[in-house]
Amino acid sequence: MLTGAATPPDPARPAPRRTRSWLPAARGDRGLFLLAALAFGPYLMFLVLPLLLSLRSSFTNQNPLRATNEFIGLRNYTEMAGDEQLRASLAFTLTLAVGVTIAANVLGVAFAILLNRTSLSYRVMRTIAFLPQVLSGVIVAFVWQTILTQNGLLNSMLTGIGLLDEPYPWLGSPRAALFSIGVVVTWVLSGFTTVVYLAALQGIPVELNDMAEIDGVRGGQRFRTITWPLIAPGTTISVTISLITVLKLYDIIAVLTGGGPANSTQSTALYIVKLAFTSDRVGYASAVAMLLLALSAVAALTVTSALRRREVSL
Amino acid sequence: MTALNAHTARDAGPPAGTGGPGSGSPARPTGAGLAARRTRARVRAVLAALVTLVFVAPIYLMLVNAFKGQDRIVANPASLPIPPILDNLGTALTRPDNLIPLGLRNSLIVVVCSVALLIPLGAAFSFHISRRRTRTRAAILVALAAGLMVPPQVTLLPTIQILTWLGLDHSYPGLILSNLGGGYLSFAVFVYVGFMRGIPDEIIQAARIDGASGLRIWWQIVMPLVRPASATVAIFLSLWIWNDFLNPLFILGPLQGQTITTGLYLTIGQYSVDYGQLFGIMFLAGVLPVLGYLAAQKQFVAGLTAGSTK
Repeated sequence: MLTGAATPPDPARPAPRRTRSWLPAARGDRGLFLLAALAFGPYLMFLVLPLLLSLRSSFTNQNPLRATNEFIGLRNYTEMAGDEQLRASLAFTLTLAVGVTIAANVLGVAFAILLNRTSLSYRVMRTIAFLPQVLSGVIVAFVWQTILTQNGLLNSMLTGIGLLDEPYPWLGSPRAALFSIGVVVTWVLSGFTTVVYLAALQGIPVELNDMAEIDGVRGGQRFRTITWPLIAPGTTISVTISLITVLKLYDIIAVLTGGGPANSTQSTALYIVKLAFTSDRVGYASAVAMLLLALSAVAALTVTSALRRREVSL
Repeated sequence: MTALNAHTARDAGPPAGTGGPGSGSPARPTGAGLAARRTRARVRAVLAALVTLVFVAPIYLMLVNAFKGQDRIVANPASLPIPPILDNLGTALTRPDNLIPLGLRNSLIVVVCSVALLIPLGAAFSFHISRRRTRTRAAILVALAAGLMVPPQVTLLPTIQILTWLGLDHSYPGLILSNLGGGYLSFAVFVYVGFMRGIPDEIIQAARIDGASGLRIWWQIVMPLVRPASATVAIFLSLWIWNDFLNPLFILGPLQGQTITTGLYLTIGQYSVDYGQLFGIMFLAGVLPVLGYLAAQKQFVAGLTAGSTK
């Protein structure tokens, strides 16, 4: 869905400059134009304008509690350089994003290959695999919390069968919490990546696989030479969306750990909301938000262009 | 498991399957090959079932424990709820603050209004730009793609400021209006543009020559043709808006009633020890999206497929 950009103009048409533009001159098209404008209005108002306002606010010391709102130039941005909490949140967010993206995509490819059969039982299993995507992050996180907390279901099960002597703090130590959050987010995202890779697999011509079968190409070799290169467009989409999703993740972390213990799982998204709504530092929160936006944009563009190049080189 | 194996045996061979399971394969007529093939199919089925189990386990926990009391949950969380009790659901539904019924109602209002506006607006916009010059179209699509990327935290505060300025903060119209902007519209436009590219120009030209206006062509010709796209957009947007967290939490605020998702977040802390209540509320909050997904899952997957390969 991110690939819907330009198609090259059709060379067969005599007047390439005017292809398909039948609308402008006609009188009866004002209605359609108005409707289209009506759709773009909210976009300008609730995405473009807020972006600009946020950018402006990032150069101020806006704080509704202290009633300050003055232009302070780049001071917010210079403050970010020495902000330990910000640095920790970025480290956490990036670690989580990279780890989860890799895990969810490796699992997605594996599950897609495993589930790529058309019979009823496999269709049922595919339906189930996507279920985590359907539930809200809040529910997902609460269910996992009952599993992962100190006296939760996982610990009572593990101590019950004697694998653990005493309950392990799955969410209680910084290391374990990062890992636990990673597992939960991977679990959610894998359903999505599996479906994208399944779609990509189904786009591979049957003849190609039949030919490989006859030539005796199978297993790892078939994966390397046929499957992997041919699902490249699926990989581009899946990796990019996974990355963006984790970079702006809020609800699952907010419920599972709330950023703790000792701010060790405070993602940048959580930090922004805390700055803005708990500390009332709206100006500084906007500056950090700009940083997160830049980070997401750079990450998405880098990954997309790198993976696109792989698509082209086929 | 038996039903599983019966199907997978057929899967191993090419689709033919006129004789016994797997006998349709001309490449491997020998008995040894057939046996190896069957083993592989069985291993695959077991692996697939295990994977599915991992995906479904937490949801299974939510489902069974919604119908069990505290003692039985603690004693054996994975056991089936036999006999099932309805106390958890009853208590959740009759809370004095009416959290569940109100939350469900509020979520429904927001989802229905948002989607009912996003579908026609998104489709009209897509139709308009899908007939523009390639370069204009590409520029607009890039601008919209940016909308998919913006983290909600970046636009949240100014959005609230704008809504306050409009006098719409802490209101349903405010939340619905802010839903119309941003990533949801981008998604709708991407799906629609993909589908509309497949509509032959000749149909449009013919209607034009007959004197139909752009609005009329859009409503009477294009909309019926892109019905699958509308289904996809409606399903995904309903799900996302239903599950949305940050916007309802801060735009509606605590005073104006919650959507089910934010209500869940704000209330469930009280039940951190009462698993029965916890799972009961979560079951009630999750059952609608899950049923909706199961009912529409064919469209769902078809839409995702079309969207990601176009």
